[in-house]
Amino acid sequence: MTFERYHIPIRIIPGRASPVPKFVITRADNCVNCGKCEKACIFGVHKRSEADFRKMSDPLSHLCKNCFRCISDCPQRALSMSIGSDYKALGRGIWTPLRISTIWGEAETGKIPVLGAGFRGMFAGPDYDGMWTDMSEIVRPTRDGIHGRESISTCADIGGKPSRLEFGGSSELKTVMPPSIELSIPMLLDTSRLTYHNNAILLGCAQASRLLDSIVLVSESSITQELLDVAGRRIVPVISEGSDIKTLKLDDRVHMVELSVGSSWKMAFKNLSKSYPDVVIALRIQASKGIEDKVLEMLDADVPVIHIDYDDDGRESGRGETRHAKDSMLSIHRALVSRGARDRITIITSGGIAAAEHVPKSIICGADLVSLDKSLMVALSCRNCVDCTGSTCPASIDCSDRDWVEGRMTNLVGAWRDQMLELLGAMGIREVRRLRGEIGRAIFFEDIERDMDAILSDGEKHG
Amino acid sequence: MAERSGHYMDSFPEVSLSPAERLQFMNRFSVKRSDKCISCGMCESLCPYGVHKRVEGHTKILPPDDRKCMGPSCDVNYFFCVANCPTGSLSVGPSDNYQSMGDPRWPAEMILSTWRQAESGRPIALDDPANIGRSGGGFDKLYFRLPESQGRFDPADFDTSVRLNRRGKGEQIEIPVPFYGGGMSFGSISVHTMLARAKAAEMLGTFVSTGEGGYPDALIPFKDHIVTQIATGLFGVREATIQRSRILEFKYAQGAKPGLGGHLLHDKNTPEVARMREAVPYTSLFSPFPFHSVYSVEDHKKHLDWALAINPKALISVKVSTPNDVEMVSVGSYYAGAHIVHLDGGYGGTGAAPEIAKKNIAMPIEYAIPKVHRFLMNEGIRDEVTLVASGGLRTAMDAAKSIALGADCVVIGTADLVALGCVRCGNCESGRGCPRGIATTDPELQQMTHSDWGAQRIVNMYSSWKLQWCELLHRLGMKGISELRGRTDLLRHADKQAKEVGK
Repeated sequence: MTFERYHIPIRIIPGRASPVPKFVITRADNCVNCGKCEKACIFGVHKRSEADFRKMSDPLSHLCKNCFRCISDCPQRALSMSIGSDYKALGRGIWTPLRISTIWGEAETGKIPVLGAGFRGMFAGPDYDGMWTDMSEIVRPTRDGIHGRESISTCADIGGKPSRLEFGGSSELKTVMPPSIELSIPMLLDTSRLTYHNNAILLGCAQASRLLDSIVLVSESSITQELLDVAGRRIVPVISEGSDIKTLKLDDRVHMVELSVGSSWKMAFKNLSKSYPDVVIALRIQASKGIEDKVLEMLDADVPVIHIDYDDDGRESGRGETRHAKDSMLSIHRALVSRGARDRITIITSGGIAAAEHVPKSIICGADLVSLDKSLMVALSCRNCVDCTGSTCPASIDCSDRDWVEGRMTNLVGAWRDQMLELLGAMGIREVRRLRGEIGRAIFFEDIERDMDAILSDGEKHG
Repeated sequence: MAERSGHYMDSFPEVSLSPAERLQFMNRFSVKRSDKCISCGMCESLCPYGVHKRVEGHTKILPPDDRKCMGPSCDVNYFFCVANCPTGSLSVGPSDNYQSMGDPRWPAEMILSTWRQAESGRPIALDDPANIGRSGGGFDKLYFRLPESQGRFDPADFDTSVRLNRRGKGEQIEIPVPFYGGGMSFGSISVHTMLARAKAAEMLGTFVSTGEGGYPDALIPFKDHIVTQIATGLFGVREATIQRSRILEFKYAQGAKPGLGGHLLHDKNTPEVARMREAVPYTSLFSPFPFHSVYSVEDHKKHLDWALAINPKALISVKVSTPNDVEMVSVGSYYAGAHIVHLDGGYGGTGAAPEIAKKNIAMPIEYAIPKVHRFLMNEGIRDEVTLVASGGLRTAMDAAKSIALGADCVVIGTADLVALGCVRCGNCESGRGCPRGIATTDPELQQMTHSDWGAQRIVNMYSSWKLQWCELLHRLGMKGISELRGRTDLLRHADKQAKEVGK
């Protein structure tokens, strides 16, 4: 077998829904069809009408890039620009219009979004927005600009790890190795949380997981023979809470299974590990107050993998003030580290992953892997409508073709992996495994603002 | 000292009006006229600003010229057109154009105010809303605690000069203004834009950096005001360009993309740019990161010594971005022999950078300046280096705040481009480049910027800035900008202030 470097095949996959323009150009009645705007615009927003060459056709607003050239050149002052109302209505919560349209772009091109001009957003924000990754100038000779990215590993493991190996008298390995899976990226595709899915979407995800060397989580009830034929061991059944474990029959090709659990999980976990000793068993729990204790309890019961679900905005469930995944994960990570047991358990996090930077930031906060859900939906041109039913979808997601789904998801994950490599390269870290819990290489807004306060009040005293 | 007073404006270039037709398009408010209008001409006779115009013989009154409109606050006036229209067909409100321009860091207000300053050279008030962005943090939350205005002042009485060399060796260079121009490479901006900046630097007696794309021959007449940048790609760096400059700038990293190296996407790498960079035309150029000859402070020293061997008289500036250990890097640079330590914060400008890098790598400059300033103080070497800050400084007040936080002077980039008519649309990275003819290498588009006109606009803008700094010094009772350095006691955090008022 020849060696093949890990590579995500990206190609341009246009969206099927009509574009949602951010900037809408309006032409008023006093236009005299002089055509100066056609000359002024270098992006091709203004064209003469094909039907009647004496007239200008309606502006192609989705090509507009906010440069105001046509507006300043129009002798009649007939043009004006506004922020599109459809654009403003995209998404909700942390799923801002900018994030959604960025994901669309990434899913279409598979490339890192590169733009001119400096940062344009808010200074800092809550949760992941209040976090910067560190880098270093001179002293860490571990990266090589854009060249040399290929030697950064993004592999991640799922499954238990013995803390030491034991050998017998004649050097034979005595430790029983627990089952484990190595993936080339720390991202999983999770279809069990999608608001809508059909067979084509599931098959597309399964095909994408093959290209990405990842796994795809599917509700046990949606698993078909066809799905298993497409992706085999990459299919991870998600068994819903309260299912009868005894009657469960897993396909031979299944390598890993996720068990959604509530408060009582011990019997189910025990039974499942007894019947399937070669399968990686993950427990999936909703994050809520006191999640650290639950994780520690699972650790004591030798659960090898825990999948922690946050809501779509990345928050714990519960009433009133709930913690964001950033704080919650940090606290879980610290609890595990102080037990000296961080490496005994794999933590997967999901929910609230709305942009490329959220993946490395989740990992810095203590996750081993990140599972993508809503972002996959958005990659399929989803607008995150409130009244999502599937059949009335403005992006007609229900008619998606499986190859198109495969391409869009591969592009999205490819773009996100490349962006993670950018951050890793700047940080001088050669492995995603070593990024986990690296809070020393992150800058937190609260800490740095506190330092600033101290400096300002210190100055006051001396001044 | 009495005879010395009043001489600080002698060398300052004169301001002259340099308007631009194509920057007159923006209307803050829009006046809408509905179909109910009967073209009676009442509004024309009322409005003293000339928003409404009726041509005799036309059946319809002309569409309102809302650029001249003062907005809904006009309703206190007897001549408010909306209230006086007999058919109620007029309405006024914020304009869509205005709302779709700019972003939280550079709101439309700030862009338009920079244009006005570049046009007229007239300063704005220190607490003008256009001096503050809407990003909700950093400079936008820091305020000077200003005593009440103390009457008139003569700008010639205030010393805004900064010494760039504080070490024994090397040429003693003093710039009369506390800033110089940041690096923008040939390729990312046009040669006209570079020339405009170089001419402005000569007029102001300060410097402008070449950026990493080489030293175009057109800049040679201004060689005493050009900083040669030596960046990781070493594009266009030759012995001749090193020997020509009085200041050499080693760019380790750029704030907008720390740890990544420069990006010039293929479209903008035209044959001229490629010739300068000794690269293949229309290929994307990515500089490596970091310098492959520099993996330690000792290597760093060797690196600087290599440049000094070629040009022994030059001052050395080291440009680094702002990681957690920025103070260690700064001290290392000092011991390696740097005259200037230049910190470039994360929110700085760029011609092209991955979006993920702009927000998420390295800290904003506001935090890095006091950190480094204090560390250098404690090391006892603060007065031997010039600490320069850049990266997201947009206005005169941002510059003053940086100095109060501990910098000696600042480096400005994006504001120069805004003075030339940039609308911050952020399309400088690819295709034909900037649609407004500033950051482009397209032969047709770059003709939009004329270098003399541009130089005058940049000078006008800085003239306004200088007057604002003088007013600030006057109100603080200082005589020179160097007295302001490190005076964090004069700064207030907006949130804290609000809390105290609430008490």
